[in-house]
Amino acid sequence: MQNQYEVVVIGGGPAGLAAAIQADKEGAKVLLIEREARLGGILKQCIHDGFGLIRFGEKLSGPEYVERYVEELKDRQIACKVLTFVTEITKEKEGFLLTAVNREGVSEFGARTIVLATGCRERTAKQVSIHGTRPAGVFTAGAAQHLVNLSGLMPARRCVILGSGDIGLIMARRLTLESAEVLGVYEVKPEPSGLTRNIVQCLEDYQIPLHLSCTVTRVFGEERLTGVEVMRVDEAMRPIPGTEERIDCDALILSVGLIPENEMAESIGVTLYPGTKGPVCDENFMTDVDGVFSCGNALHVNDLVDYVSESGELAGRAAARYTAGEQPEKVEIRPDASLQYAVPQMITVQAAGGEGESREVVLFFRSRETVRDADFVIELDGKTVFSKHYGVLRPPEMERVLVKLGGLDIKSDSKISVSIKKREAR
Amino acid sequence: MDRKTLERKLNRKLEKHYGSAVQARVEKECIRMTGTLDDWGDIVSACAMCAKKGARLHVVNDILLEGAEIPKMRLPQVQDETLEGEKPDVLIIGGGISGASIARELSKWKLDILLVEKEADLAVQASGRNDGEVHPGVDLNKGTLKQHYVLLGNRMFGKVCRELQVPFQRCGQYVGFTKRWMYPLVWAYVWHRKHICKVKDTVILSSKELKKKEKNLNPDIRFAMYNPSAGSVCPYGLTIAYGENAVRNGAKVSLNTAVLEMESANGRIKSVLTNRGRIYPRLVVNAAGVFAEDVAEMAGDRFYSIHPRKGTNSILDKKAGMLVKGIASIKTIQKNTGHTKGGGIVHTVHDNLLVGPDAIETYEKENFATAQKSVDAVFAKQKMTAERLSERDIITYFTGVRPATFEEDFVIERGRKVKNLIHCAGIQSPGLTTAPAVALDIEKMAVEYLKKEMPVVRNEKFQPVRKAIPVLRAMPKEKRDAMIKQNPDYGVIVCRCEEISKGEILDALKSPIAVPTVDGVKKRLRPGMGRCQGGFCMPLVINIISDYLNIPPEDVRKGGSESVITYGKTKEAK
Amino acid sequence: MKELTCIVCPNGCTLQVEKNGEEWKVTGGRCRRGEAFAIAEMTNPVRTICTTVATSFKDVPVLPVRVSGDIPKKRIFDVMEEINKVKVTERLGRGAVVIENVLGLGVDVIVTSGILAEQGQI
Repeated sequence: MQNQYEVVVIGGGPAGLAAAIQADKEGAKVLLIEREARLGGILKQCIHDGFGLIRFGEKLSGPEYVERYVEELKDRQIACKVLTFVTEITKEKEGFLLTAVNREGVSEFGARTIVLATGCRERTAKQVSIHGTRPAGVFTAGAAQHLVNLSGLMPARRCVILGSGDIGLIMARRLTLESAEVLGVYEVKPEPSGLTRNIVQCLEDYQIPLHLSCTVTRVFGEERLTGVEVMRVDEAMRPIPGTEERIDCDALILSVGLIPENEMAESIGVTLYPGTKGPVCDENFMTDVDGVFSCGNALHVNDLVDYVSESGELAGRAAARYTAGEQPEKVEIRPDASLQYAVPQMITVQAAGGEGESREVVLFFRSRETVRDADFVIELDGKTVFSKHYGVLRPPEMERVLVKLGGLDIKSDSKISVSIKKREAR
Repeated sequence: MDRKTLERKLNRKLEKHYGSAVQARVEKECIRMTGTLDDWGDIVSACAMCAKKGARLHVVNDILLEGAEIPKMRLPQVQDETLEGEKPDVLIIGGGISGASIARELSKWKLDILLVEKEADLAVQASGRNDGEVHPGVDLNKGTLKQHYVLLGNRMFGKVCRELQVPFQRCGQYVGFTKRWMYPLVWAYVWHRKHICKVKDTVILSSKELKKKEKNLNPDIRFAMYNPSAGSVCPYGLTIAYGENAVRNGAKVSLNTAVLEMESANGRIKSVLTNRGRIYPRLVVNAAGVFAEDVAEMAGDRFYSIHPRKGTNSILDKKAGMLVKGIASIKTIQKNTGHTKGGGIVHTVHDNLLVGPDAIETYEKENFATAQKSVDAVFAKQKMTAERLSERDIITYFTGVRPATFEEDFVIERGRKVKNLIHCAGIQSPGLTTAPAVALDIEKMAVEYLKKEMPVVRNEKFQPVRKAIPVLRAMPKEKRDAMIKQNPDYGVIVCRCEEISKGEILDALKSPIAVPTVDGVKKRLRPGMGRCQGGFCMPLVINIISDYLNIPPEDVRKGGSESVITYGKTKEAK
Repeated sequence: MKELTCIVCPNGCTLQVEKNGEEWKVTGGRCRRGEAFAIAEMTNPVRTICTTVATSFKDVPVLPVRVSGDIPKKRIFDVMEEINKVKVTERLGRGAVVIENVLGLGVDVIVTSGILAEQGQI
């Protein structure tokens, strides 16, 4: 059948591109579906540099990074449909049936496996309980970035940024370069959410103040925003009455978190993990629905695109190699309270000395708190089987470890736990 | 009771509460309250104390509020002469559900109809800011206009929504009770409502029966009052549909048009001044919502007062939609404060949940600001209705201001001192439900009046059916495919959350009352109403509007003329 | 001694810089690149800029560009001003030079995206 594919990748951002290319390298018949007119996902508008240091050893801008993959996709002549929107996925006896719309009409595709690389969306003003009027001039950082970098339009002249997430910091610098005044960045948490280097090169370089333990509680203005109210917050991040301060400005830009987009995953029964809001997956990034894989920011929010591409590759490869039928048993990897999460959440059982001997597993994790001089530890049935030392671990910075499974006996009733252990505590 | 006796009685009551600060004067057409108080809540209580439900004499509030300034009506920025010298047979003031439905019913007649609305779109105030419930009327007592019209209006909804192609669901309303001892009281209430008030569909469900229909409600509910006739509709969608159908049938709608003053003589309105010129109507319909009293004053016919009451609703993600399939609320023994219906949970026609509203008296008629405490209070209450309700699912919230009279009833009648005026005022809840029925009566009143002045004949070309913008996401595959083959823009998805195509957006820009702004498109189609709240699609919608109108993208507005989204091109903005 | 956060890569190491006579001593970094960064920070801090230039094409109103190498931090806004004067009128591809040797700083302003050169896009 012409419309039958072994791997259908949904999403043409860095994760999806890597997945499609890798699946193609494995010899699978691949289709990539992208809802926007151009491939590249959010990197199209991330014109700042700093991408690709790990993968290419170069400091690339977002478009430069992603266009390398786009070109490889084209060179490999991988089937690709842009401006095509998947409306429905249904499980068939064998594989899946996808329905999509584009300018040609409604079409259907058969897929043995699906790789979901649907990315994430931004949390909005209402989701962080900002009240007041609803004027023009409230933008998520991503929307502001689209307007500035793709549409060439100025969304602000004098603005306040809420949230010290990376996109917010990047936009603070970007708007300053375009001669807007950024009055300050406000962060509800006691420490910044973005990477330290971005605090330095986006805020400190331009003398933009960062106000920690502060939040925006209200906006003013009827038609266009005329000001915001900021308040200090207590340890529980609740605004402290009496600390209200009004700041006159014409825009509020929000960088208050990203949420993996998994509405499609949920529609086919994929279980989401509360810690990541992405699917529960195994070391091949396969979800708990056999044949459905997840990668990139849809799986969990990354701070480096290099890891997004890596997860795409791993998912793409696994999807290409997937064979239907009885799947091997899996056991849970349990993070303790020292971690926000660890991905994958499941791992395939293996006998020591068996086939899986040479297996390597990529594990991503995020610390719950900032800790210094600590080890990331994996315990199998009470025995430490992996440990890596870190000078400092910070919640905004996701860490990646490569774990060799050689010699490990992972049984179906094994208990695997992961944790961060402080050195002085031991 | 004669006027003097009533006046003495009211003043004795007032003196007990407010000393000599407030007085009531019983006049021929109203009870006028005068004096000075420094708290708006006290003013409302003093007026409410003197108001009697169903009475012909309404309370008019002239009590001064000390220490605060009551904001003036916000006016559109535009100033031109586009309406100068217009002589419509009927001038309708207000483009909410009342004004729009009246315009549509009047368009069955060969009349020159002009509707003016001060906002940049229809349904911006109360009609765009409510929960969209089509009420069964079970909470209302006989003898009020509300009750009279709610029964008529509710029955009309199926037909009206079919004609206007507006989604409507009779999803049923459940009021749960947790105390078994209340059963006899509720039984008696239901009997009364069913047989005396003629809300014939009212029944009591056992907890088991309730569970079959709504499995996620509070398990402590012992029994529930159920009205299958209750429904839900998109309130601004219905208003716009009425407006569009009126325009298709010859009526004119002028947005961004505010009434500034009127010239009256010999008990007649001679002319009406707007920011877009002076209009000379034969008949004026006052459907000005919270400003109906101000319009009445301009006309010299102010015999009622509006006390604005605001309420906040939260909108929950569609993911939470399965929690409640109909409309649900709970009655506990704590007394409801204020005049709220208590709020509830409504499953909307778009499968979101609406939670709320609360009810707060305010002197600011256009303060739509939301506050966290309103959201919190509503959630605290509604978690008793459905315990799995979660603040985490909130995607947005909004505040509406309801125009209530002190009698808490509608004012639907001809002017008392002014002949060529019809009031459609005090239209608070269930004003959306009543609108179709009220509009028919106002149509009758208007035609009857006009027939004395001019020949009024049927509009032979009246087309009751409004063609809605196609909703592609709801179509079967084959039909959707055929539509896209005809117009490929239907296959270009712009809003990913609500699955809205470029073709649909272009249809909205070409609709009979086109409002080429981001909010105008959003109201007609919903891009920006989903979980991303426009983060992804807003820049794309700007581009589509800019291309369609052939204007620079920086000239595209969010809503009103001052709601600038971008300040120009990046390289030029300095 | 001065403490700096290295911005060379996302690791963001905390560096300690000390001057020993004419020699700079840098500690705390995970790699060598931090050393060069820290010394530059103390003597002549440099940065790179990424921005856009205006074009005359409606489908791509602005085109991403960056400087081909680091420029002195204090010249950032001067360079921005130069970049803002440019209007691209040809469908330039990635890597194309928009301004040669901008302000004599020895670096070019180059296009970083193929968006404009792509044909037949919507």
